[in-house]
Amino acid sequence: MVKEATMRVLPRARTTDTQQAAGQAWRFNATPYWFVLPYLFFFVVFRLGPSIAGLGISFTNWAAIGTPQWVGLANFQAMTRDPRLADALRNTAIFSLVTVPLLIVLGLALALFLNRQKPGRALGRVAVFTPYVIMSTVVGVLWTWLLDKDFGLVNLALSSFGLGKVPWLVSQDWALLGIVLTTVWWTVGYNMVLFLAGLQDIPAELYEAARIDGADSLGLFRHITIPLLAPTLFLVLMLTIINSFQVFDLVFVMTSGGPGTATLTLVQYIYTTGFQFLKFGYGSAIAVLLFVILVVFAVVQTRAYRRGLSGAQ
Amino acid sequence: MRKILPLLFVLALLVGGGVSAQDEVVTIEFWGGWTGPDGDIMRQIVERWNEENPNIQVNLSIQQWSPLFDSFVASASAGEAPDILAMHPQEMAQFIELGMLDPVDEIVANSEVIKEENYNPVAWERQFYNGVMYAIPLDLAVHGIFYNVDLFEEAGIEAPPATGEELIEIGRLLTKDANGLHPGDEGFDPENIVQYAINMHTNHHAFFQWWSLYNQQGGQLISDDGLSCAMDVEKSAAAWQFLQDLVYTHHIAPQGQTDYARDFLSGRTAMLVDGPWQIPALEAAREESGFNWASAPYPTVFDQPAVWGSGHNFTLPSMADPEKRDEAVQFLEWLAANSAAWLESGQLPIFLELVESEEFKAMPGRDAFMEMLPYQVLLPNIPKHNEIFASNAPTPMMVMAQHIILEQADPLTESQIACDAITGILSIP
Repeated sequence: MVKEATMRVLPRARTTDTQQAAGQAWRFNATPYWFVLPYLFFFVVFRLGPSIAGLGISFTNWAAIGTPQWVGLANFQAMTRDPRLADALRNTAIFSLVTVPLLIVLGLALALFLNRQKPGRALGRVAVFTPYVIMSTVVGVLWTWLLDKDFGLVNLALSSFGLGKVPWLVSQDWALLGIVLTTVWWTVGYNMVLFLAGLQDIPAELYEAARIDGADSLGLFRHITIPLLAPTLFLVLMLTIINSFQVFDLVFVMTSGGPGTATLTLVQYIYTTGFQFLKFGYGSAIAVLLFVILVVFAVVQTRAYRRGLSGAQ
Repeated sequence: MRKILPLLFVLALLVGGGVSAQDEVVTIEFWGGWTGPDGDIMRQIVERWNEENPNIQVNLSIQQWSPLFDSFVASASAGEAPDILAMHPQEMAQFIELGMLDPVDEIVANSEVIKEENYNPVAWERQFYNGVMYAIPLDLAVHGIFYNVDLFEEAGIEAPPATGEELIEIGRLLTKDANGLHPGDEGFDPENIVQYAINMHTNHHAFFQWWSLYNQQGGQLISDDGLSCAMDVEKSAAAWQFLQDLVYTHHIAPQGQTDYARDFLSGRTAMLVDGPWQIPALEAAREESGFNWASAPYPTVFDQPAVWGSGHNFTLPSMADPEKRDEAVQFLEWLAANSAAWLESGQLPIFLELVESEEFKAMPGRDAFMEMLPYQVLLPNIPKHNEIFASNAPTPMMVMAQHIILEQADPLTESQIACDAITGILSIP
């Protein structure tokens, strides 16, 4: 998964805060903009600029060499007839549908568990978070071994329960699940840390007061934890969806999209089309499609979140 | 000031040294994709050149082939390129069509070293595209069989298989389940095999093997005009059927294998189909643990011998600095005649002086591969090579191979699907 997505969202959230603060004073204060400037520079040069260029390229045929040839909407029309793209879309959707709930529920469960005052808490947090700092390629190679059909530790563990050998990465039926498992192990710690931060922002007095009023632990969770964790939950959900739609490195290292097209994902298909097949126009068109999908998700989620907020008030 | 003075002194030294060095030293950028032990060997060769030629320094950059070409495209797009780029002959066409590689005819015409009569003809003819020579060959490689001599002796087998029938017959003897039973024996348990006769690729080498077997029946893949698939699907299916049967019918090759070399070294498979690049690892195992291996030519399963082959070559990107071209060629000439060290990589030499050297003749395991060189068949060198054959993308070849070998899909249906997909790719201008 692409980790940069998080870096893109967090600072932006901070800017709006400072902008609001400046707005309230009714005078222009340049200071905050200086703090944002270095980030803004890199954002424009390495993200916004290429994105706009990508949109332009999507209307052309271009092999990265020579002059791009204007083809209008031909690349977008070609997408409707491309069975590989359909495979990639389907796999990415399935991957997201499975990974996102897993990462949210597991991340939250781990955070709740490791938020309690218990011995070994720090060690538990480190153990869950550590995988996230490992490079994706290393994770990919590591799990390719772990999921090996004949010698992998995962199958060894399964066989001690009397279960048969699972052809994790070498069968169309299992390969995507193998990638899901790896992704969850790799990134759940990140969600956990975000949830932990959210949990620690909830004032302990609220729990005390509710307990005095006779609330049980399920009530505490439903009426205090969840509502007060909503902003974190929203952020985590957003990041997790964006990241899962951008899944690439693990697939590239572990299966290259195979067996057949069983684990071909959108971003891998974009990479393949552009850099391996030198069809940058078509690759950019698919990237535009991915962008539109993510924007739709973002808009729907933001609306739902706002409605939830006003409903609560 | 006391602090600044030494700094200035150092700066002056640096600048002064820089200027005088710039006058004489030419730095050649040389890119290659040798990420295994062969990379170290190439580095040693380059180091030797750099020591002997202080005025022409070669800077070797190594990364895996696929990202290497990504970098090449990206840098060429920005108007820059390495002075020398290594690749495989079948990959040249796409870059030639985009005007990214310069012809080498003139260089060859003026060279005393890089001349047709100094090279293996099979290697030489691979470097042409539309009648123009675009690369200088370095080596060749073909598939062959490595076998575990101890396991062969244990099973009472004297010679490695030369035909398909022999492979299956020998394969039965070399395959054992947990009770020591062989396929075909009463009570043989195919779910509990502890030793297989031979490996079965699940990556791109699966369709490399198919390529050998398809060509053993004589067959075209791409039409003469290059615009459609000309595959004989019956022959294609027959080739795949042979490979699929090894796994699912004869049970002499494992299903879903991922690490062929490891399985061969650990004795889990008695034979390994692969290229001569495995030789250094096998030799290391012989020295460390007495692993007793030998090699044999790829068997002829159908009518005529044919084997998948590839090789490395050097191309001269057209966006490189033209001022450095002479020095780059000088280095390549030296490399051709001084690449005895490259023999250690296992890759097959094609510079005749090296082929005939006593040093090479004394090297173990190479004969079987050299014997098959005349029957080497390269994958087509066409502009859309990657779209059809790329190994780390869902290309028609990879999809066909994995469906048939991993999912036991019907070879005839899959061949037809692949052929239609190839036509779909080629028919788009």
